[in-house]
Amino acid sequence: MKSSDSRAVARQARREGVLAPLFQILHIWRQRAPLLTAGAILSLLALLIGLLLMREAGLRVAAMTMGMIVITTGALRILGSARVILRYAERLVTHDAMFRALADVRVWFFRNLARGAAAGLGFRRAGDLLSRLVSDVEALDGLYLRIIVPLAGALLALPFLFIAINMVSTVLAVVVAGLFACGAFVMPLIAAMLGRRDGGMVNHAAAQLRIGVLDMVGGLREIATFGAEGRMLAHVHDRDAALYRAQMKQARMLALAGAASYLCGQAAVVVVLAAAMGLGLPRIAPLPAAAVLFLTVAAFESVGGLTRAGALAGTITRAAARVVAVADLPEHAPAEGTQPAPAGTDICFNDVSFRWAEGRAPVMDHLNLSIPAGQRIAVLGPSGAGKSTLAALLLKVVAPQGGQITLGGEDIATIRDDALRGRIAWLSQATHLFADTIRANLLLGRPDADEAELWTALEQAQVADVVRDLPEGLDSWLGEGGASLSGGQGRRLALARVLLSRAPILILDEPATGLDARTEQEFLQTLNDVTEGRTVILIAHRLTGVEKLDSVWRISGGKTVELRSE
Amino acid sequence: MNDDKTVMKAWTRAQSRLGRGQAMPVMVLGLAIAAIAVGQVWCVANVLACVLVPGGMPVATSALAGLVILSLLRAVVQMAADVMAARAGMKARRRLRGGVLDAILRGGPGLLRQHHTGELTALAVDRIEALDGFFSRWLPASVLWMAAPLVIGGLAAIVQPGSALIMALCGIAVPFGQALFGIGAAVASRNQFLAMTRLQARFLDRVRGIATIVLSGQTEAETRRLAAAAEELRVRTMKVLRVAFLSSASIDCAMVVALVLVALRNGSQLMTLHEQGAVATVMAAHVLRGLFVVLLVPEFFAPFRSLALAYQDRAHASGAAAAMRMLPDASTVRAAGQAVCDTGHGVAVAFEHVDFTWDAARGATLDDISFSVPAGNTLVLCGASGSGKSTIIELLLGFIQPGGGRITLNGIDMTTIMPEALVAMTSWIGQKPVLFAGTLRENILFARPDATDAQLHAALEAASADSFVASLPQGLDTFIGEGGFGLSGGQAQRVAIARAFLKDAPLVLLDEPTSHLDPATEADVFDSLRRLAANRTVILASHSAAVEGFGGQRIDLDRGRIVTSGESAS
Repeated sequence: MKSSDSRAVARQARREGVLAPLFQILHIWRQRAPLLTAGAILSLLALLIGLLLMREAGLRVAAMTMGMIVITTGALRILGSARVILRYAERLVTHDAMFRALADVRVWFFRNLARGAAAGLGFRRAGDLLSRLVSDVEALDGLYLRIIVPLAGALLALPFLFIAINMVSTVLAVVVAGLFACGAFVMPLIAAMLGRRDGGMVNHAAAQLRIGVLDMVGGLREIATFGAEGRMLAHVHDRDAALYRAQMKQARMLALAGAASYLCGQAAVVVVLAAAMGLGLPRIAPLPAAAVLFLTVAAFESVGGLTRAGALAGTITRAAARVVAVADLPEHAPAEGTQPAPAGTDICFNDVSFRWAEGRAPVMDHLNLSIPAGQRIAVLGPSGAGKSTLAALLLKVVAPQGGQITLGGEDIATIRDDALRGRIAWLSQATHLFADTIRANLLLGRPDADEAELWTALEQAQVADVVRDLPEGLDSWLGEGGASLSGGQGRRLALARVLLSRAPILILDEPATGLDARTEQEFLQTLNDVTEGRTVILIAHRLTGVEKLDSVWRISGGKTVELRSE
Repeated sequence: MNDDKTVMKAWTRAQSRLGRGQAMPVMVLGLAIAAIAVGQVWCVANVLACVLVPGGMPVATSALAGLVILSLLRAVVQMAADVMAARAGMKARRRLRGGVLDAILRGGPGLLRQHHTGELTALAVDRIEALDGFFSRWLPASVLWMAAPLVIGGLAAIVQPGSALIMALCGIAVPFGQALFGIGAAVASRNQFLAMTRLQARFLDRVRGIATIVLSGQTEAETRRLAAAAEELRVRTMKVLRVAFLSSASIDCAMVVALVLVALRNGSQLMTLHEQGAVATVMAAHVLRGLFVVLLVPEFFAPFRSLALAYQDRAHASGAAAAMRMLPDASTVRAAGQAVCDTGHGVAVAFEHVDFTWDAARGATLDDISFSVPAGNTLVLCGASGSGKSTIIELLLGFIQPGGGRITLNGIDMTTIMPEALVAMTSWIGQKPVLFAGTLRENILFARPDATDAQLHAALEAASADSFVASLPQGLDTFIGEGGFGLSGGQAQRVAIARAFLKDAPLVLLDEPTSHLDPATEADVFDSLRRLAANRTVILASHSAAVEGFGGQRIDLDRGRIVTSGESAS
């Protein structure tokens, strides 16, 4: 599994180099194109009015000093209030568009995660990787507000600036436009390139710090029993210091980039003033000089944030790359079937071969296993022997490289995923209880279940008393800020959810792990009673003796399944 | 709730005080930038006045040169301010993170009973990272928005008191405008920040449980619910933003009004001068002063904008303050014992009428427990989960203290023994040992960093870990733990046993050491544990049938009471 992870990382790394991920994000946003464009246009209008306002203000100030009124106070007032109103509208529309677009990304991401990689990932409990992906989605808000909109503004301001100055002096127009291009495009680009490198180092250092802290927190017992507080703290402080070094390096780079883009703007001001004085450049008339000066200042002000945004662009593109990589189907992903699930529930593994990655030992090597409908079987084996792979194959989370698996005589590859999963319920130690009400958690098993059915399932799972004792019963909230259940109670709640589903086949993947001996035995006895009439595939590393089973299989040497006997 | 708020406010205030010292250079540089900006505006106004009023003043080449120099200076000072701000944020984070890490270590394993490791890690890493802006941006901005306009306005007042007054009045209008639109918005936006956090938490929760959702066939339904939640958040957020943006529009408004008023005032003065046919030098001086104040207006309002931009950084602080409260106070530290304990002839353990209660609502966890284990003997604790086995082990580890009765080691009350001595005399192996990110060698040497190679290999051999170590890609230097090579449960437990051999403590505490192993591995691990038990005092908590072969004394516990005690079957 590890090597397929690293391959996924490599695949992402390849994608990071190009703009493709950004375009794919934009593609996801295509439905929002009108709104996003409207936001950008409003922002451009606000910018344009701002430029005009400053130009006119410059003209007016200059003109008054010469005793003439070129434009009326009214025009200034209109431009001024238009600017304030447009700025306000622009901010509302762009933020609204951004929220909608971000919601779209969330939904798209969730759907794709569910469709492909996700199921495999979730199966492998890569919780940290998933958390990182979630923060990546949230990082995308900067793409529109901080990069696309100001960049569009710069693209508009450049020709406007050039045309306006060109009416006065072509040489000056070329010089100022060149400086503007430098400040609005070249500097941000350099910052983006440097930011990619430094940002990578900061991310790496942060990840190292997180691992260090995670080790420290998780190992608090070990640390206390070995008296290693000082050593551990020094270790984490080292990593902390490394993070600060990387961040300070990035901060210095950012400061430099900011200063460079500021100097571009100031150079333009100096050039305009020099032209007005006739120093080194063709002299321009005083009135237009004032207008050009104000215009230049305003234009450069509008792109002041781009260099900093450029430095962040690396982070955003990396996040975008990781988010869109979710759409890559994992290498073992089965193709979506088209057939409904057959009525029969006999399961048959025919000559099935599977390995998680090239070069790794096969988890299954021409494996044969037949589970007739209604049979209760156990599959034993040490951890890592491929017991859980059996469940993953059966649930079409991964596809075998050789052989086939049939359900009721149909190859499961041809059966629709949801139809297949409607027939098979899964309970494992990785089964997730959501931060939601107990009711909502149970209804996941069968959305149309009524109150009585919920309580029956809770009774069967022997957790009804616990729920009844909670102040809000079925509507008690689980997780952060809610009722906290013990490990055993949580497992029983998950069992109640599985029992609610009418699936004729139950896969119980180490369902009692983490429970103590007595609770485990009681739990397994409960299972004996409540799973009557269903096919049960119990995956465990050992049996306790209370399980009621028709046959026991053992995955041995990670290769074959052999009948032990019963 | 009100209590929470006062605590959070007090925390924010205390942090602001501490952070302001570090942010001082940033504020000083910010004021310097304001002063340089005034100089730049003066130079620009000079050049313009010279161009606009021909013959009114000498050619302003020196002003242009001054502008170049001041611009370079401002770029450098700005750079220094940026770096200083980053450093202030860094120092504050270092201080806070150090405090959090200390508190976590002080809280010890007891913390893990109340909080998830992920939660604590997020607090020590992400929460504190998010506070960077509070120290590097918000704190300087919260001082500069008052100080910088004062400097600029003061300098403007020297040149044109009237215009400075206009700027000051418009500037004062900003906080009033903020108050008018802002107070409601601030309250609402704090709630919004919470709602946003909640949506993010929900999204993360659903993504983490995606396998469960997919395998329940609920993908579409859950996707729809997610979209609905995001939409609801958007609608509510936009309601808040509609008002919140008004407050920044009020800054724009104040600036435009100030600009227009100052420009009109100067314009009419100049027109009058023109009509009176003033001489060029007088004219030029007036133009210079007029342009100076007009150009100063945007600089005057710039700090207000920085403050508005930094406002969201402030919101992170209250979130962090709330999270910090999961950590123990510095005041909870217990007075450490001073007694030493001679362990030359092993350790005898005795419980004398020990009571312990985790949660008063659920009754006593241990109720009048008495037993004694002579040095070098073994005691097996049996009983279901919740019967109190682990609590006895935790008491012996010193993570918790008895509510009543006392525990003695070689006859000395445990609470009076020096913590360092306690650590030195005890080894502990739990259900699943924690393997740290690092090499296997580092992980075993964790028990005793100064051990020699020979001692290390002896420990490996005694724990029967040598054979699997040889099979690893890089032997002892194989990288394990997070992101490294995955060891099986049995292999990890052997690492723990090797640690215990290396530490060579006279008292060994074993808390369900084989509960995660399959029977074959369990038997092997028990063999190694028996070797470890030789000549040591061992207390073993287990519900496995395999402990029968362990020998020694046996106690059966049920709900915190001893039900039977005697010699083990073998």
